[in-house]
Amino acid sequence: MSGPPAKSIVTEAVLLCRALRETGITVTPAESVAAVRALRLIDLSDRLETFLSLRSVLTTRVEDFPVFEELFEEFWSRLGHRGQRRVKTVREAQSEINRRVPTRSHQHAPKGLGFFLKNWARTSGHSEHINAPSASDIESNTEKDFGQFASDELQEIARVARRIVRKLASRPSRRWKPVRRGTRVNLRRSLRASMRTGGELIELSFAQRKRKKTRLVVLCDVSGSMDLYSRLLIQFTYALQNSLARVETFVFSTSLKRISGYLKNRAYERALESLRETRGWSGGTLIGPSLAEFNSRWPELVDKKTIVIILSDGWDTGEAEELSGALTVLKRRARRLIWLNPLLGNPSYEPLTRGMRTALPYIDVFAPLHNLESLRALERHLVL
Amino acid sequence: MREDVRKIKELLEQQVYVTDAAVATSVYLAMALGKPLLIEGPAGVGKTEIAKVLAGALGTELIRLQCYEGLDATTALYEWNYPRQLLHIKLQEATPGSTAEKEASIFSEPFLLKRPLLQAITQPVRSPVLLIDEVDRSDEEFEAFLLEVLSDFQVTIPEIGPIVATHRPHVVLTSNRSRELSDALRRRCLYLWIDYPSFDKELQIVRSKVPAIGEQLSSELTRVIQAARSLNLSKVPGVAETLDWAASLAALNATHLDAEVVNETMGCFLKDQEDLRKFEREAGSHLDEILSSGS
Repeated sequence: MSGPPAKSIVTEAVLLCRALRETGITVTPAESVAAVRALRLIDLSDRLETFLSLRSVLTTRVEDFPVFEELFEEFWSRLGHRGQRRVKTVREAQSEINRRVPTRSHQHAPKGLGFFLKNWARTSGHSEHINAPSASDIESNTEKDFGQFASDELQEIARVARRIVRKLASRPSRRWKPVRRGTRVNLRRSLRASMRTGGELIELSFAQRKRKKTRLVVLCDVSGSMDLYSRLLIQFTYALQNSLARVETFVFSTSLKRISGYLKNRAYERALESLRETRGWSGGTLIGPSLAEFNSRWPELVDKKTIVIILSDGWDTGEAEELSGALTVLKRRARRLIWLNPLLGNPSYEPLTRGMRTALPYIDVFAPLHNLESLRALERHLVL
Repeated sequence: MREDVRKIKELLEQQVYVTDAAVATSVYLAMALGKPLLIEGPAGVGKTEIAKVLAGALGTELIRLQCYEGLDATTALYEWNYPRQLLHIKLQEATPGSTAEKEASIFSEPFLLKRPLLQAITQPVRSPVLLIDEVDRSDEEFEAFLLEVLSDFQVTIPEIGPIVATHRPHVVLTSNRSRELSDALRRRCLYLWIDYPSFDKELQIVRSKVPAIGEQLSSELTRVIQAARSLNLSKVPGVAETLDWAASLAALNATHLDAEVVNETMGCFLKDQEDLRKFEREAGSHLDEILSSGS
């Protein structure tokens, strides 16, 4: 190991750390120290090695990589390597390989999932003008909700969603259950068992806290009338999917599709991209048949430990009997049925649509979900 | 490239692990700085393999802690061997000695059942590799506990006192991102992201892991896998699947791929009904194109 690095490189490294911090990547002094230590251990004339080392030390998730790459470029050129040709980094080479072919999926039916997915991809925070579908009396109010929705709020949504999930899943239980091997000796059982051997303690019995294994099933309405809210809903759903291991996500309009796999283990952008392929969503809503389809095709997903969350405005064009039939089955099998309705955010709204009226008797929790504030309120007031 | 990094790369490659600069640099730094290495990436890209290969390369023991929901300190750290303690009390009943002495004797190391974390910090000869696999599956409480162990490599057992690591283990954590890890844990670690390999790298992996496979077949199969990954499937095939498929084809004595062979064996790398249909629909029709591309 060579002597201490020149002062300038330490200064530059610290500057790099500060710049990273400004972009929102958490770089603590401890990491700055680690970065400088790392610089002493590597070949500083090797661009790739310096890059990889600093990236390894200073970033903590793959989403930080693009920002880091940019700032590293600056760092490297300030070190006097201005003339050096820029080599392709591993990440770049890799992302070129893995780049998905852009899909041209929204030529037809500029409504439904395909429609707002196109809009979500934009990262601008300014309000977007959207032709509101039906339910025109609430148009002005909700448009504001949607317009104020900046994409950097994704993180906040994710945080709130995670807290909600934790509340829903609230493990472990307060009860103890006897187990063969566990964390705590169950004295009462052990002594009782010792009676068999004349008061000699031979076999110990143990106890352990019971665990509540909660599963979450999310059914998200993506029909035309939900266009306004679907950015929030998909972000919410994405956050739910990635905060607990046992979450299954479905979208429905006139039919049903399981999208858990598309949301799971992927960066948000990548998840959106794969969702964009699921096209043909438009117009009407058949909540009843969609729920019935869910009941018959995925019965194994719902049991007494499952919380089912339905995200829908309740504008149903199907038969009321079908909806109530499907909900009866769902209600009987699930632990909780939660219905989050974006329209409920409007004070003058009353759940009078036929679909909503039919559904109300089966619902355990009926709450609004139209903006971030309502999400926070949901977290505060959610009582199970 | 620094000599040490190259050496690590060579060591890893001796263990039949096809590596790249990012992996070698991160592993080197993790060892040199004494920090845990957090590896993230899609399923089946060889995250766990790094720890195994590292242990092999260093000639040291691999201690593995598989995380799952509900994993707690007793299963991860230590536990008292109650039956043995009871037996010991019985045996000592007749012998003279104070209660305090007897108590001290049953709460000593022979009565301690060491679980992976304690094992890792009490290795007598050299630093082991401690693999904490799929840390995203554990609960948040466990993550906090892990943080404590990983920061000082010291464990306090109330009856015995603190146990400090004799040889600091090389720690490798892997995560499939099924849940977001806490920032505190992330910051404590060096970060390495492994993505699906490029065509060349994957081909190299196939040839080194399944030597029985022919040149033509190996490049054809890698090409199909790479094409399948670009299809946006719900379960994207990882390297593990590629190798499974390669091994199956080798076992079937196939020499080249055609529509029939692919149809019969695609269950090796597509594990979802809808994905199978999608692959048939979108790749099956121009299989020849995929097979011949680039050659």
